[in-house]
Formats: sequence, structure tokens, C-alpha cells
Amino acid sequence: MTAARAQYDDTQGALVASGVWRADSIGALPDLAGKAVHVIDGAGVTELDTNGAWLLLAAARPRASDPMPELRSFQPRHLAMLQLVAPHCAVTADKPKPPREGMLELAGRGTLVVWGHFFGLVNFIGHLFLELVVLMAYPGRWRWRELGAQISAVFVGAIPIVAGMLFLLGVVFAYLLGSQAQQYGASIFVVDGLLLAILREVSPVIVAVLVAGRTGAAITAQIGTMKVTEEIDAITTLGLSPLAVLVIPRVIALLLAMPLLVFIGDIAGVLGGMAVTKEQLDISFHMFTDRMVDVLDLKTLLVGVCKAPVFAIFIALIACRMGLSVTRDSRSVGANTTSTVVQSLVAIIILNAIFAVMFVRLGI
Amino acid sequence: MSEAVIDVSDVSISLGGRPVHRGLSLSVARGEVIALIGGSGSGKSVLLREIIGLVKPQSGGIKLFGQSVWDSSAEQMSLLRRRFGVLFQDGALFSSLSVEDNVATPLFEHTELPRVTCRQLARLKLAMVGLPPDAARKRPSELSGGMRKRVALARALALDPELLFLDEPTSGLDPISGRAFDALIRLLADSLGLTVFLVTHDLDTLFSIIDRVIVLSDGRVLGSGTVAELKHIDDPWLREYFAARPTEGETVHGN
Repeated sequence: MTAARAQYDDTQGALVASGVWRADSIGALPDLAGKAVHVIDGAGVTELDTNGAWLLLAAARPRASDPMPELRSFQPRHLAMLQLVAPHCAVTADKPKPPREGMLELAGRGTLVVWGHFFGLVNFIGHLFLELVVLMAYPGRWRWRELGAQISAVFVGAIPIVAGMLFLLGVVFAYLLGSQAQQYGASIFVVDGLLLAILREVSPVIVAVLVAGRTGAAITAQIGTMKVTEEIDAITTLGLSPLAVLVIPRVIALLLAMPLLVFIGDIAGVLGGMAVTKEQLDISFHMFTDRMVDVLDLKTLLVGVCKAPVFAIFIALIACRMGLSVTRDSRSVGANTTSTVVQSLVAIIILNAIFAVMFVRLGI
Repeated sequence: MSEAVIDVSDVSISLGGRPVHRGLSLSVARGEVIALIGGSGSGKSVLLREIIGLVKPQSGGIKLFGQSVWDSSAEQMSLLRRRFGVLFQDGALFSSLSVEDNVATPLFEHTELPRVTCRQLARLKLAMVGLPPDAARKRPSELSGGMRKRVALARALALDPELLFLDEPTSGLDPISGRAFDALIRLLADSLGLTVFLVTHDLDTLFSIIDRVIVLSDGRVLGSGTVAELKHIDDPWLREYFAARPTEGETVHGN
């Protein structure tokens, strides 16, 4: 394949083209340095497609205002190709410039996005309350089957990962506490520390993070894809409310599942701790449980479990809202899923801090 | 009728335990505008996907431009892919890119031209398929269905292929846009010397722009020829198919 060539002939002001003029055989356009082209000579052109024709014309007349050069000794089909392309040259001549954004514009845009999220969430909560009122009035509209399916997906499916994670975290905590406490001969106090850490902080927060990543992302991706494929519109046209059909079952399923998951996490974490204290500190299971009965307040357990429904509501609301605010393209499904996880994690951390301050002030 | 651009010989495939093609053979000559028709589930789309190298047939051979699709090296296949363009049923535009970049993507990937030039060539293609200049900067989601099809056609044409595959090009378009799209395909086929292979349900397309129709039935080619020739084939599905549209000078119900 002979590459495309074009030479400028000074005597006649002619551009002499030869070779194969196709998009993949042209490296760079010939630089004519502003010399006017009156004639394009195509006797040597062996192949010409629309890309080649456009490039040849663009080389001969860099500006749309330049006069159309005379086309000389082209083969008839090449001439036809040039004539097909020529009328469109005016539209394509100006080089498209990608728009650039300044710092100020970026900052403004970012602020609007954050404000949009906040406003959207408040708006969404309002709509959801209205929907709940309607559901209270017409109990027949509750979606029990959907609720069951969601509980199975959110709760049953999450048990292995929650138990596994918390067991390992229990192992790590007990091991680190044990290695310190052993030096002071205070091994038995490892049980106190472990129970406090796992039940009060670690289990609720880690379970919330897991649920945000696992269930929150899944909810957004699922509802978002339903939005893209117009399933949400179909639900609306059937006279159903997407909030009642999709959102409320998910919110309630998470609300019910999270405290249970936290409790399962508590048990797994304590079991992990027991396994380590037995091996490392020679505290038998019996001694461990005796100590647990002595020092464990019901309060400690409840503080952890009580945080769960609050985390659950925020994760579910954020995930459902982001799912419903997907626009009709696949990019926004990805962007909104990411946003769900980020927003949920931020919400969990902030809520947990508020809880910590609140419990201290209340003396719990 | 010179060399065969598409040559499918004795292809068989079963999907999910159900035989879809049983020894199917067909060939398409350069410059032809061919329509593939057949009832729902007759394997039209599967055949298209086999020819463009997305689904591997269990037996038989498929050649494009005389080169086997399923026995070529990745490099040969890449060269072959540049010689044909595909318009998918729903356009399959990349939703994260602007319209212009969608069309320019094949040029970015397969040529050494500067990106600015690629975008200009993309605009040329958009102008050739009849889109207004201001569409170039938009996102595919901001366009109507008919405009999306045109963008997809522009992308299929980006590298000036010799062969164009169209999967139901007029589905989802209103009759006026559909006819305009048909006319555009025929115009481009004639002016660019394209071979066009399209899968369709649209009778109006068949009657207006098609050189030859291939009918798929029961996993084989039932017949091929012009619309007039096909009317002589005695097949219940075909009879019903053509009865769905009154031809000039006939009435459906009769008096």
C-alpha cells in the first residue's frame, strides 16, 4: 500500500496528490505554509475514500472562505467522492475546541452538586413520608413479597461476610489487647476491653460499612438500571408508586436486617476474641464467659445495636435516591453507585461521631 | 457480480439445546444491498453475530472478503474489522462520550491522524448522515431515537468500510424517519460503493431500497431473490408476511 502523498507545484499553484488516500494511510497533512492552491491534480491517486477526500480538500483550502480549487485528472469515481464531500467542508472546517473549565467554575459546580444532594435527600424523605401515610391508610398496598425478597438479599446473604469479618476483627483486637495486658498480668481485663470495643463501636460501624458497600451499591445499581431501561416509568404507568414498590421494601428490609446483622457481628467478634484469649492468654472459654457475665452491661450491647437502624435508614435512603436520580445513560449508573457508597460512608462516620458525643453527654 | 464479499457455507449452531442454524449457506456479492428476513426466533440476529465474529458457529465456515472469520489470527481479524462497519439495533453508542467523539473513536484507534483532524472527520460523517452541526457536542442521551441511529450509522461509516451491517435499522423510528433513513442508506451505498447487509422486519425497507432479499426459515435459507420473485415461493410464513402489506393496485380485503 503506497502511502498518501501530496506535493505542491509552484508553477501552476497545483497540489499534486498520489497514492492511497484513506484515513489509515495518511500520517499528517502536507503543510503548504499558506500557499494558495488553484488546482488539485489527482492523476496519481489510486484510492480515495470520504476521509481521504476531506483531508485532501482540507489541505488545499484550510479556510472555508478559500475558493474551491479546480479538480484535474481525477478518475470519475474519485471525482464523485470529492463532490460528495465538498458541500460539507464549510461545516467541518472550523477546528472544534474542547471547552475548558476554570477553577471558579469547578468550585461552583461542586457546590451545586453537594447542595443538590442535600436538597434532594430532604425532598426524597418528604415524598417517602407521604407515601408511608398512604400505605398506612391502605394496608393492602404493602409489598410483602418484595419485602421478603429484600430481607433475604440484605440479611441472609450478608451473614457469612459479616460473621467472617467480625470474627477476624475480634481475633485482631484480642491479640493486640492481650499482648499489652499480659505484660501487667492483667490478662483477664482483655475480656472487658474486647466486649466494649466490639459491641459498642466495631460491630455497628463495620457492619454499616459492609452494608453500604454491599447492599447500598446494589440498590443504586439495580434501581438505576431499571431507570435506564424505563422499568420505573412502566411501574408508574401501571398506576403503582415506585416509592411503594421499590423504595419502602428496601428501607424496611435494611431497617430490620441491620440490628440483626450487628448482633450476629457481636457474637462473631466475641467468638474470635475467645479463640485468641484461649490460645494466647490461657483464658478458658468458661473463664471468659464468667467474666463476660460479670462485666457486660446490657447497655453496652444496646448502644451498639441501637445505632444500627439509624445507619440503615441513611444507607437505604441515600441508595434509593441515587438510584432514582440516574439519568438515561450507563455512565450515570456508575457515577451514582460510587456516589452512594461515598455518601453512605460519610454519613456513617458523621452519625457515629454524633452518637459518641451524645452518649457521653447523656452519661450512657 | 464479482467476488463474494460475504460467504457463509454450511453453518450450524445450537443455542440452549435448540438448533438455530442447520447447514445454512449464503453469499453476497460486492455492491449488493441485501436484506435478511425471517420470523422472530429464526436466527437472523445470531447469523449476523456469527458473520461479524461475535458468536462462534459450531460447524461450517464464514468468510468475509475471502478471509475466514473464525480461523484468522487476532491481527488479521483486526485488519478485517476495519473493512466493515456495524450498526447495532439500539445504536450502542458510548454514553460517556459526546456524539462527535463516538464517531471519532474508530479514527482515534485505527489511524495516526491528530485528534483534532479525527474530530473534523467525525463532523464530516455526521454531516453526511444529515445531522445538524450542533448535535456534535451533545451526549447520546440528549438525542432522539432517529438521531441516535444516524450517529450510530456515522460511527459505522467512520473508517469508510466497504461492507456495512445493519441490525434492524428502522426499528423504533416513525415511518417518515424510517423512510428517510432508508433513502440515506441507499444514497450512501450508491455513492460510496458499499455492500450493505441488513436484518429487518420493515416491509417498506424491502420494497424501497433492497436489491435482493434472503429469507431465513427453520435454520436454513428458504429462498433469495427480489421481492417479486419471493412472492412465488409457496411458504405459509412468507405468504402471511407479504399479505401484511397491500401492494400497489391491490386491496387487502377485496370487494
